[in-house]
Amino acid sequence: MDHRAYRSAIMADPHDRDSDLRAHRDACAECRAFTEQLLRFEARLERALLVDIPSTAVVLPLARHLKSARGPRRWLAMAASVLLGLGIAGAVWFSLPQSSLAADVVAHMAGEPDAWQRTDVPVPDLELNAVLLGAKLRLKPGAGIVSYASSCDFRGYKVPHLVVQTQSGPVTVMVLVHEAVRKPKQFDEHGYRGTIVPIPGHGSIAVLMRDLNGESGEVERIAARVEDSIDWTP
Amino acid sequence: MNDEVGGNQRRARFQALCQSLRPDLLRFAFWLSRDRALAEDVVQESMLRAWKAQDSLLDEGAAKPWMLTIIRREYARTFERKRLQTVDVDELVAKEEPVLATDEDQNISDVRAALMKLPDEYREPLILQVLMGYSTAEIARELELSGPAVLTRLCRARQQLRAACGEDTTLDPQT
Repeated sequence: MDHRAYRSAIMADPHDRDSDLRAHRDACAECRAFTEQLLRFEARLERALLVDIPSTAVVLPLARHLKSARGPRRWLAMAASVLLGLGIAGAVWFSLPQSSLAADVVAHMAGEPDAWQRTDVPVPDLELNAVLLGAKLRLKPGAGIVSYASSCDFRGYKVPHLVVQTQSGPVTVMVLVHEAVRKPKQFDEHGYRGTIVPIPGHGSIAVLMRDLNGESGEVERIAARVEDSIDWTP
Repeated sequence: MNDEVGGNQRRARFQALCQSLRPDLLRFAFWLSRDRALAEDVVQESMLRAWKAQDSLLDEGAAKPWMLTIIRREYARTFERKRLQTVDVDELVAKEEPVLATDEDQNISDVRAALMKLPDEYREPLILQVLMGYSTAEIARELELSGPAVLTRLCRARQQLRAACGEDTTLDPQT
């Protein structure tokens, strides 16, 4: 692969994990510097796209109004359904298990099975730093081998998704700056054991393991170590 | 009576789904249209269409791409209906200044202004990739383009953005 082909490919997708691209980057200092510059810009781009969204409840019309919905009448129908809609949506929002934060975290994990490999190969620093930079945090030295780092879409935000190799096996960490929780929540579902712990002023972090043979309290201890390893940058 | 209760539950469930997707959908519509008011109209109308067509959504996990497709079509319809005139991007940037402004740093506002000025053919695949997490193949399918065409557009999109933001582009490939 020549420089031009590498740079064209990496500009099309700066997070491309293709092995040929990685091999070229490892062998070429100029292209490595180019990629670092590109990833810094990518972090800016990701933040720029996240414009503020006004928090307004979604309102759907009552079914019986749908058939004759025309012009202003449709909006009247929608207005008529506001109170009912808000009430029901609120109840469902907080009660449906599939819309809980823990369930969403587990669902996200299930979508990224490749991230769970047991390995001692760390993700390249520039990839890790690009992910962390976007979330305004750093990992202290000694946090452990981070074998996977990605900025993932989660509930409308880009969040760091890391896999840290521990003695107990790979542990997934999601830094959920936009998800404040009042108290730690343990969960054990669909083969994942985990905890979501509040981080005052910084939302929460979710920590998950797949090896369910670990001791009781193992996830919580790992979560505490992860929390201690994070440096929040201004 | 049972039908009514079932209908209410169904609506509530769908409403909760829309609510959870709403931030992504609004951001997508905003960057598609570059107009916050139009984006809100398009998303609201798309949710109504989605509600009416919800039987065609077989897998709730696929709701987001399903809704994004509806939004793209609804936006295109709006364009046809209103026969929107060619827009002056400087006016658009000025009009949407409250959305583009950020208290984080000027760098972000600069990227937002550059995104507003990026041609549609480059902006849309870039939004799908960066904001929505689409793969090249998914973008190609959604935009009915070939994979290489998508890659070329993504590359050019970043080239133009970086140049507009004053980044060093001396090592950029010529496409």
